[in-house]
Amino acid sequence: MADFIALAWAGIVSGCLYAMGAVGIVLINKSSKVVNFAHGNLAGLAAFLVFGFTAGTFGQMTWAAAVILTLAIMVAVMAVCYLLIAPLVFQSDLTSTIATLGIGLVVQGITQLLFGSNVVSLDLPLPNWRATLGPIRVASYDLAVLGVTAISIGLLYLLIERTRIGIAFRAVSANPFASRVCGLNLRGVHLFSWVVAGLLGLVASLLIVPTTFLSSTSVSSFMLQAFAAAVVGGFNSLPGAVLGGIFIGILMNLLSFYIAAEFTNTYLLITILLVLNIFPQGVLAIRGGSRV
Amino acid sequence: MLSGAAPVSDQSVSASNTNALAQHDRKGRWVTGIGGGACLLLLVILPLVAGGYWTFTLGLCFANAIVIIAVSFLLRYGGEVTIGHGVFAAAGAYTVAMIEKYFGLSLLASLPVALVVGAVLGLVFAFPSRNLSGIYLAVATMALALALPELLLHFSAATGGYEGLYVKLDALPGVPKSLQRYYLPLLGLILVVALLAHFRRSRQAMALLLIRTSAHAAESFGVRRSWARLSCMALSGAIAAFGGALLSFSSSTVSPNSFTLWTSIFLLVGSVVSLYSLSMVGSIIGGLFLTLMPLLLAGAGDWVPILYGGALLAVVLGVNALPPKLRARLQGVRA
Repeated sequence: MADFIALAWAGIVSGCLYAMGAVGIVLINKSSKVVNFAHGNLAGLAAFLVFGFTAGTFGQMTWAAAVILTLAIMVAVMAVCYLLIAPLVFQSDLTSTIATLGIGLVVQGITQLLFGSNVVSLDLPLPNWRATLGPIRVASYDLAVLGVTAISIGLLYLLIERTRIGIAFRAVSANPFASRVCGLNLRGVHLFSWVVAGLLGLVASLLIVPTTFLSSTSVSSFMLQAFAAAVVGGFNSLPGAVLGGIFIGILMNLLSFYIAAEFTNTYLLITILLVLNIFPQGVLAIRGGSRV
Repeated sequence: MLSGAAPVSDQSVSASNTNALAQHDRKGRWVTGIGGGACLLLLVILPLVAGGYWTFTLGLCFANAIVIIAVSFLLRYGGEVTIGHGVFAAAGAYTVAMIEKYFGLSLLASLPVALVVGAVLGLVFAFPSRNLSGIYLAVATMALALALPELLLHFSAATGGYEGLYVKLDALPGVPKSLQRYYLPLLGLILVVALLAHFRRSRQAMALLLIRTSAHAAESFGVRRSWARLSCMALSGAIAAFGGALLSFSSSTVSPNSFTLWTSIFLLVGSVVSLYSLSMVGSIIGGLFLTLMPLLLAGAGDWVPILYGGALLAVVLGVNALPPKLRARLQGVRA
């Protein structure tokens, strides 16, 4: 039982990160009906940019400066990505989804070109503190992940529930045609969702790096977890994506401990297929409200 | 060019204007027939002129072209993106290698088995997402592509693990190996293209295209979407496995390295570059792109994904930027 609780705790921590990735994917899908397969590659590039600014490839900045600079660069990168596929978005969801794969390839190539394919380590500036609460071992990293996730998701909630652009986002995701008739700028809303998704991706990838090493493929290898989380949540629901992320985090930890560790992607595949059969609309289904 | 005789298989073409198309076909049939025949003749006599290197590369290119056709088939008839078709190709390739390993039978015996394996895998895999939007299918194919290497490595006793398996047996005894590796994929490609051209005229194809054009109209005619999804995936899986089987024969080896997620993504890039074409010319262009690019860029490893991604974006955006009439013509003639 002690094992189980400790595993579940670690699962919640990594699940928070999957949730942030999934929220980004769902945001983009809700507003522009595009599945962004470049999400993992973009997040990986973001983590490498922070590495580059702090560890000397581009400069020796402090963490705060590096993160702020990278946030600004990511806003620009996401805007460029959206503008690249912008001519396709209203033509065909299918073609724009294919185009995101092209963006992913290009971003992956740029990451390898700029930073090489070596494995580097990127340490977060966290105090070295740990405590033991019964079976659970809490490190400062865990608390940082939980705190940052709570803040990010909370800010996103406020942004979507309380601001004009948030209301516009909800309107566009509910009915693009009607919102256009009402004079909303669909492109603006799309751009908003891409930029917010990119920023969430940056945060998630920075927090994921300490659990693994940073290499040109390590962050994008978490993309499947994020997609699985989005599928569990129904691909169309932001709270669903958060729940899905935590669910996937716990489930993967338990499966790799109790069965075998080398089948992560196979477990994810089976989870995706099972969820699609049992909860075709996601666990937080709004029957009749989601796109099929 | 060969496909000039085949009807246009653009999904927007409905049954009502097949008459006009037939007339257009009749006019162009002579020209394209002669042109296509000449090109085909060129491909047939090429190994007698070109060196072993080119014969080998083109053999791989034809096999890749078949897998690309499988991706394009799913896109055209099913309207679904797949980034997991490497898995179906791997199913065919490993079927050939394992039948040789355990039963000592050559490609000709294992090809039909590979077809069935691919079709069954496609069915099993599409079943859970049969009623859902294509997003789920795309995500599930991605999971499939990522899961495959894990499974191949775990069952290394049967699959040969990292090193993979060899395909050594001759399919046609008495013919030089290099020629077999060229002509069998070429023959396979011609067969697939011809069968698909025939399929385009069948009731099944009409029903599938009707579903793409209007799901509501199709359902009122009694054609279910779930049926369409399953049959598209089964056919596409079978074609991909067929191509994979020939690929393993041409390259004489299979290993997990040749069937990663990247393979599947590159297959999709190849399909896009060929404009989702189901014809000889289009698929060979896609196959050439897929086979030659890594060879040409062997010295510039990091540039490969950028060029593939750039090519994909350029084609998708370029076609989109064309005037609608030209776009329809381009896709129609090539189809």
